[in-house]
Amino acid sequence: MSNIIFAENLTLWYEENEIIINSANFSINKGDFVFITGPSGSGKSTLLQSFYGKLQPNHGSLAIGGLDMTMIKKKKLQELRSHLGIVFQDYRLINEWTVEDNVVLPLWIAGYSKKVQTEQAQRLLHHVKLSGKEKKYPMELSGGEQQRVGVARALAKNPFLILADEPTGNLDEYSSNVIWDLLENACQQLDTTVVVVTHQIPTVFNIPFKHLSIDQKGTVYEVC
Amino acid sequence: MKFVKNHLSIIFPMVAILLGLEFFIVFDRTTKNYEESLRNSYAMLVVSKEEMSIDDFKSWDSHVFKVSEIEKSKILNRVSLAFDKSSGKNSKLQDKMPNFYSIKLNSYLDKRDLEEVKNNFLKSRKITRVETFDTLHQSNYGLFSFIKFAFSTFIVFMTIIGSFLIIKQMEVWNYMHSQRMKVMNIFGASLFLRSKVLINMALIDAIISAIFASIIFYFIQKSWLRDSNITIIQDNLEKLFTFSDIFILVAAAMVIVMTAVTLVVINVKEE
Repeated sequence: MSNIIFAENLTLWYEENEIIINSANFSINKGDFVFITGPSGSGKSTLLQSFYGKLQPNHGSLAIGGLDMTMIKKKKLQELRSHLGIVFQDYRLINEWTVEDNVVLPLWIAGYSKKVQTEQAQRLLHHVKLSGKEKKYPMELSGGEQQRVGVARALAKNPFLILADEPTGNLDEYSSNVIWDLLENACQQLDTTVVVVTHQIPTVFNIPFKHLSIDQKGTVYEVC
Repeated sequence: MKFVKNHLSIIFPMVAILLGLEFFIVFDRTTKNYEESLRNSYAMLVVSKEEMSIDDFKSWDSHVFKVSEIEKSKILNRVSLAFDKSSGKNSKLQDKMPNFYSIKLNSYLDKRDLEEVKNNFLKSRKITRVETFDTLHQSNYGLFSFIKFAFSTFIVFMTIIGSFLIIKQMEVWNYMHSQRMKVMNIFGASLFLRSKVLINMALIDAIISAIFASIIFYFIQKSWLRDSNITIIQDNLEKLFTFSDIFILVAAAMVIVMTAVTLVVINVKEE
């Protein structure tokens, strides 16, 4: 199995005397579904941010999709990001754009035709149960609906890796279930690697998964 | 309403700056003609022991544009009119008389520069006297310079106000566009793609501003300036606003907005 994420002695900090992730060693393979858990402030989100290059490793090495993140160039990072699907707890939708425009953002960036964008938007919005809301603006939707738009956007370009930071953080049960189903399907049917940062692993989860846990000292353990 | 407000808040200061620019262009154009006529009507008088050529004068001062010798006979005739016309001493007197030259300069100089030209001429032993007529010269030039200064100050003031309003709008742009640009950055958009929406909006506003400024100036020319009794304007009425000015205004507006956009874009923190 090929490594999608490979970390060796990975150390992350914002200030040198305040280490967030301490010498972590782990690997995540293609098609894995991975939960990263840990108490508040343990560095779960920081670790996830290093996967899409918001933070660069301060020590050790990290490779994403075969790219060395310690010395990645801007252009390469842009290219890598265009092949990732990222879901945020605070949705990060573009408020002045319609739901449809938000969903097809990765396709627009990649230069796909308007026809392809529209077709893909229709398909994805059907999957996230938001058909008919294409022309609405994010502020006209509930939190759960906005997050489903966020997930649809992450899936738009069939990414090889989906990174989700507390995707069901403040959502109702219905929206949470829709999102878990979508992520499970992406992993199972499309062989996409999914990494989810969460406080709690859902009680009902239908596919096998890997579990990384981080303690308060920033040590990463592979639980299962 | 918000859409209109967003556009007007950049169009308004841009129009102010462009009007300032157009006023400057028009003022420069009309005053150049006026300056030319002042220059043509001015000449200094030089008296020399020997005959001089234009090259001699040019070698002493580069401001010399044209030299014409004042015929001695004409001077003598004028002088003789007051005395005895039948005097036969005219030809002898003519031989003893120095040479008189009327010197035109290539630009309209201030008092200090005129003094410098005079001193340059007097360095030559051949030159016995230089008359700059600087009192008359200065009365014309002083008024002209004051109007020029007052107008330039007004234009600079308009530009400063306009620039402050644009800086304010840049802060609004930063607030409005940074969220979208950050999200696009996370999904791998290039700097150009991230800025595209802002660039498009700014360029459209720049063109609208240039058109507005052109229309305003066209009406100023056709109504207010046409009816004015200012000679300098009446003489140059057709040169006030030309079709090519629209392109100058569009280009200037684009340079201003693109500078503003670039500053906003580079200030959005990348994630």
